[in-house]
Amino acid sequence: MATLEDSFLADLDELSDNEAEMDENDGDVGNEEEDVDMDMADLETLNYDDLDTVSKLQKSQRYIDIMQKVEEALGKDSDGAEKGTVLEDDPEYKLIVDCNQLSVDIENEIAIVHSFIRDKYKLKFQELESLVHHPIDYARVVKKIGNETDITLVDLGDLLPSAIIMGISVTSLTTKGSPLPEDVLQKVLGACDRALDLDSARKKVLDFVESKMGSIAPNLSAIVGSAVAAKLVGTAGGVSALAKMPACNVQVLGHKRKNLAGFSSTSQSRVGYIEQTEILQSTPPGLRARASRLVAAKSTLAARVDATRGDMSGINGKALREEIRKKIEKWQEPPPARQPKPLPVPDSEPKKRRGGRRLRKMKERYAVTDMRKMANRMRFGTPEESSLGDGLGEGYGMLGQAGSNRLRVSSVPSKLKLNAKVAKKLKERQYTGGATTSGLTSSLAFTPVQGIELCNPQQALGLGSGTQSTYFSESGTFSKLKKI
Amino acid sequence: MSSLLLKTLTKKEEIDRIIRDTIDEVLVLRFGRCTDTVCLQHDDILAKSVTDVSKFAKVALVDVDSEDVQVYVKYFDITWFPSTVFFFNAHHMKLDSGTADHTKWVGAFHIKQDFIDVVEVIYRGAMKGKMIVQCPVPPERIPKYNLLYKDV
Repeated sequence: MATLEDSFLADLDELSDNEAEMDENDGDVGNEEEDVDMDMADLETLNYDDLDTVSKLQKSQRYIDIMQKVEEALGKDSDGAEKGTVLEDDPEYKLIVDCNQLSVDIENEIAIVHSFIRDKYKLKFQELESLVHHPIDYARVVKKIGNETDITLVDLGDLLPSAIIMGISVTSLTTKGSPLPEDVLQKVLGACDRALDLDSARKKVLDFVESKMGSIAPNLSAIVGSAVAAKLVGTAGGVSALAKMPACNVQVLGHKRKNLAGFSSTSQSRVGYIEQTEILQSTPPGLRARASRLVAAKSTLAARVDATRGDMSGINGKALREEIRKKIEKWQEPPPARQPKPLPVPDSEPKKRRGGRRLRKMKERYAVTDMRKMANRMRFGTPEESSLGDGLGEGYGMLGQAGSNRLRVSSVPSKLKLNAKVAKKLKERQYTGGATTSGLTSSLAFTPVQGIELCNPQQALGLGSGTQSTYFSESGTFSKLKKI
Repeated sequence: MSSLLLKTLTKKEEIDRIIRDTIDEVLVLRFGRCTDTVCLQHDDILAKSVTDVSKFAKVALVDVDSEDVQVYVKYFDITWFPSTVFFFNAHHMKLDSGTADHTKWVGAFHIKQDFIDVVEVIYRGAMKGKMIVQCPVPPERIPKYNLLYKDV
């Protein structure tokens, strides 16, 4: 059926309410229907005095047909499932699929009727809508109150919990509503009746589906329950389609996509109809994600068994359910108690020598310098120089030997990089503190133009006078320049 | 009331057997009476640490009141109870704790960690082949005594 596929697509999108085919006739109550989409678009312009302009489902042909079939099937008890036929061809199976779709449509319809009732009843009792949330309860309450001004005269005991009844009585005293005119009241009551009818029809449909689910997909219903099984099969578009899906998809079937623009969707738990199963409702919230994955996986297996009609008795399903239950119980076990650990045998674990850059840098500080290396080696045939001369004192080895291609060996090892500030201080100290300043340096600078000029030689090196502060210096530069 | 966790030995064969059979583990033998208060304190420390050192040590109590055991009491020259003697692979391990007698530990340990340290040091020394080791317990926690030489 083309409409079926369209409605499945629409259901999966859950964005479009555009169902031009939403024509349904109700055998019991005669009402016209309108395009739901149009109603949504023109809420302000369309002054829907008439319920019929809003709610169309009950009049559509489809609705009537399906309801008839359901009544029939409920009336006669189903004879044993024909094992020979392919699942898809079974007329009962088709009915199930239709019923699934219908139940969704009825739900939407109830929502529409509820908004109709609410809008009309706002003139009478505005706050009721915020006190009673459930649409069916709201309809029942409205029907009972009617046009009554004194709520205390109305007995709501069997409809609502006492706390809410009290809330209603209290708010009714301060409500600014006024009693409705007669025709509006009639319309409202009619709408309430309609809502209640739709609800009962939906219940009937669901009961039928549940009862049949046991014969259509016994293993799947053994795990997730017939209601959820029906929903899953309905959304998937058949038991075989459900069987072909990977388990991760089954997990999110029926997930309500909340389009929160700009908000991250990682905080939402991606669970669909599986969340409504009895198993998941009874697991603690911390384990829900894991459990849903497990249930999805096992239910996919069960669906595959059902698609091939391998096991019609449901034993497989029961076994899988038992497995799931055991696993979830195991997860909830407390961890084993800590045994006191004996100490390890001494010297049984060798010390771990760590390497790395840090260790290497540390070692460099104590490494043998080039100068020392040169001093350790000697040239063949030539006596080495020594500190006290004549072979006494420390030998200099290759240092200072003629013919060695190094004029000077730096005393500071090249790898030891000093911080800029420290290097500057060292240079200053070297310059001023060292007793071995070269005899040729002088503080007199001979310039050709100005003649003798006394200048501070340290300034030339950029050291300035030792007392100048580097932090506040006007001529000071950055100590480190980096190219971007 | 002997400690529930520690084995109490009363016969010579038992002592012999346990010394022979403890292989590659330090054997700690406490000589003392189970009713003595100092012995009780010492036993308490031993019992608490027996699981910790279980991988490289074994602890046993010797009741000094039985006749069989007097041979050993005389051999080790035990006069103060409790006295603890250490063995490793049937060798008698000596412990230099700054006192006069290195062959045994006289008195109770103050804290559990002291006992564990002593056992560890004995183990290390024995694995290296030493017969005497330095005691790691600080001197304030080593029970002091005077050694009187009689008939020597």
